[in-house]
Amino acid sequence: MKILIIEDEKGLRESIEEYFTEAGNICETASNYPEAMAKVNIYSYDCILLDITLPGGSGIEILKYLKKNNNSDGVLIISAKNSLDDRLEGLDLGADDYLVKPFHLSELRARVTAIIRRKTFNGSNQLIFNEINIDLLAKTAKVNDQSVKLTRKEYALLLYFIANKGKVVSKNAIAEHLWGDGMDLANNFDFIYSHIKNLRKKLIEAGSNDYIQAAYGMGYKFTS
Amino acid sequence: MKLITRYNRVNLLTTVVVMLITGIIYYQAISLILISQLEKDLVVEENEIFDYVSLNHQLPQVFKSNDQQITFTEAEPGSVKREFINTVYRNNDNVKYAKRHHHHHDDDDEFETGRGLITSVTVGNKYYKVLVVVSTVEAEDLIKIIFGITAGVILLLFVTLYVTNRLLLNRLWQPFYDLLKELRLFNITDNKDIPLEKTNIDEFEELNQAIIGMSTRVKSDYKELKTFTENASHELLTPIAVINSKMDTLIQTDTFTQKQSKLLNDLYSAVSKLTRLNQSLLLLVKIENRLLESNEHINLKQHIEELLIQFEEIFLDKGLKVTTDLLEKEVVASTYLIDILLNNLLGNAIRHNRVGGEIRIKLTDELLTIRNTGATGALERNEIFTRFHKSSESEGSGLGLTISRQICENLNFTLNYSYQAPYHTFTVNF
Repeated sequence: MKILIIEDEKGLRESIEEYFTEAGNICETASNYPEAMAKVNIYSYDCILLDITLPGGSGIEILKYLKKNNNSDGVLIISAKNSLDDRLEGLDLGADDYLVKPFHLSELRARVTAIIRRKTFNGSNQLIFNEINIDLLAKTAKVNDQSVKLTRKEYALLLYFIANKGKVVSKNAIAEHLWGDGMDLANNFDFIYSHIKNLRKKLIEAGSNDYIQAAYGMGYKFTS
Repeated sequence: MKLITRYNRVNLLTTVVVMLITGIIYYQAISLILISQLEKDLVVEENEIFDYVSLNHQLPQVFKSNDQQITFTEAEPGSVKREFINTVYRNNDNVKYAKRHHHHHDDDDEFETGRGLITSVTVGNKYYKVLVVVSTVEAEDLIKIIFGITAGVILLLFVTLYVTNRLLLNRLWQPFYDLLKELRLFNITDNKDIPLEKTNIDEFEELNQAIIGMSTRVKSDYKELKTFTENASHELLTPIAVINSKMDTLIQTDTFTQKQSKLLNDLYSAVSKLTRLNQSLLLLVKIENRLLESNEHINLKQHIEELLIQFEEIFLDKGLKVTTDLLEKEVVASTYLIDILLNNLLGNAIRHNRVGGEIRIKLTDELLTIRNTGATGALERNEIFTRFHKSSESEGSGLGLTISRQICENLNFTLNYSYQAPYHTFTVNF
């Protein structure tokens, strides 16, 4: 997939770039408004990560420009502004998603993957990863055509892992993904562990490979 | 003591004292005038006697009248000193007198007060002491009447002063009481100005202006503070985002030892706490500025049920027993805020619960109560809603309840805490 990262903060831009760069992915970056406009004018991307506050202009203007020109690139707004109005404005203008800083890279990755999936599969709602087949509409999973009964959380976890395959995902990131704001409740991650344990068990029992690995007590890795 | 009471007390007391002094002076003056009038009459009488004696060389015929008595007594020559005296004399004309003054005794031996003049006259070679007495009753009656009228006037003045003071002061001070009422309602987070009525009393107008100036200043200071909080939190977001992303990148790099991953875990926790704290601060500012308001019809029962499903695993993990008694209830508010409110309250009920504890949620048309068993006894009712107040073992930001209460205030709900062993209860009154 081809991704454009429009973000003025160097540290963040580089981290995102590094996280997304892997075989089969192309990442380009822009650090200000003119640079970003130049790139979106020339190239086409699967997904554009768009910061709202940019030197030289507003990300909202870029979004407006894209939509005016019927650009089909997926757009994910990454903004420090967590206000409902900004969020609604962005989504109303045609952004596909809105992520508030600070975020975990794995969360960003999961959102970008979802956007691209929606764009490219065009109505098809199957996500296939080796022997695992996920029906995104019915929210069910099958391993080798054998259906696996997953809870809502386990299903979300599986999608999250697949989007971040090959990466170590921290327990914090998982917890925030699954529970959102309610997450400050759990200082111990025991119940994350039990969700992961159950998911792993169910997949293996259905005949899948053992993809989920614990990573040095910090998180988990979905190996491919 | 109320100003008016104090004022009345001083005012009336002064009036009474001044009036009393005036009364006494008045009484004395009138007495003096009347007595000197009587004395003149006595001297006229004396002269008449002298004239009569020098003309006729004998004592004049004495007529006893009710007003005047003259007696002659022989005395040693030169023994009488001329002087005026106060005396009592027997009034013979009491029948007529009693008719006029029926409150007096009407027996024959009535004594009246009188003013007398002792003088002497020599008829031939006989020396007489002459006593001329005139009644002072008439004069005293006059004084009494005058005194009565004066007392009446004092009383009237007293009442008038009291009533007018009361009415006038109440009306005069009305702008003050209005202002006081407005000041009591003054809310620093409110964007409204203090509505002050125009008054044509300079002092109150000045006070009004001073209050308006003060409230404007306070509000602008507060606004500045809020803007600062908002800006500071905003500025912090970017570095936190960088830290977060760098850590996410770091854990991809290599294998870590047990010790390193422990350190990384601690870092993650701290950053996540920092993030939440920062977001809570921003949220609080926004709620206080009423930036998050919208009018959505929210089915509260449904919302709570969805939330409970979301927390299911945590209930299981902590072994909490949740019982609900939910009636249909719709509120008009922002979904976002209601979610935060419910999340916070339920989150607290979970976080501060003990393993194997209990949570009871009740929703009716008037109120929502969330009770939970807890590790501690009653909390400090006044302090729990203040910023950054939290129990030492709490992992929260210390802003949850402040935010919750602010949300309730914005929606005109009230949020209260009570403790009835073993339940901590938070009640939202709609």
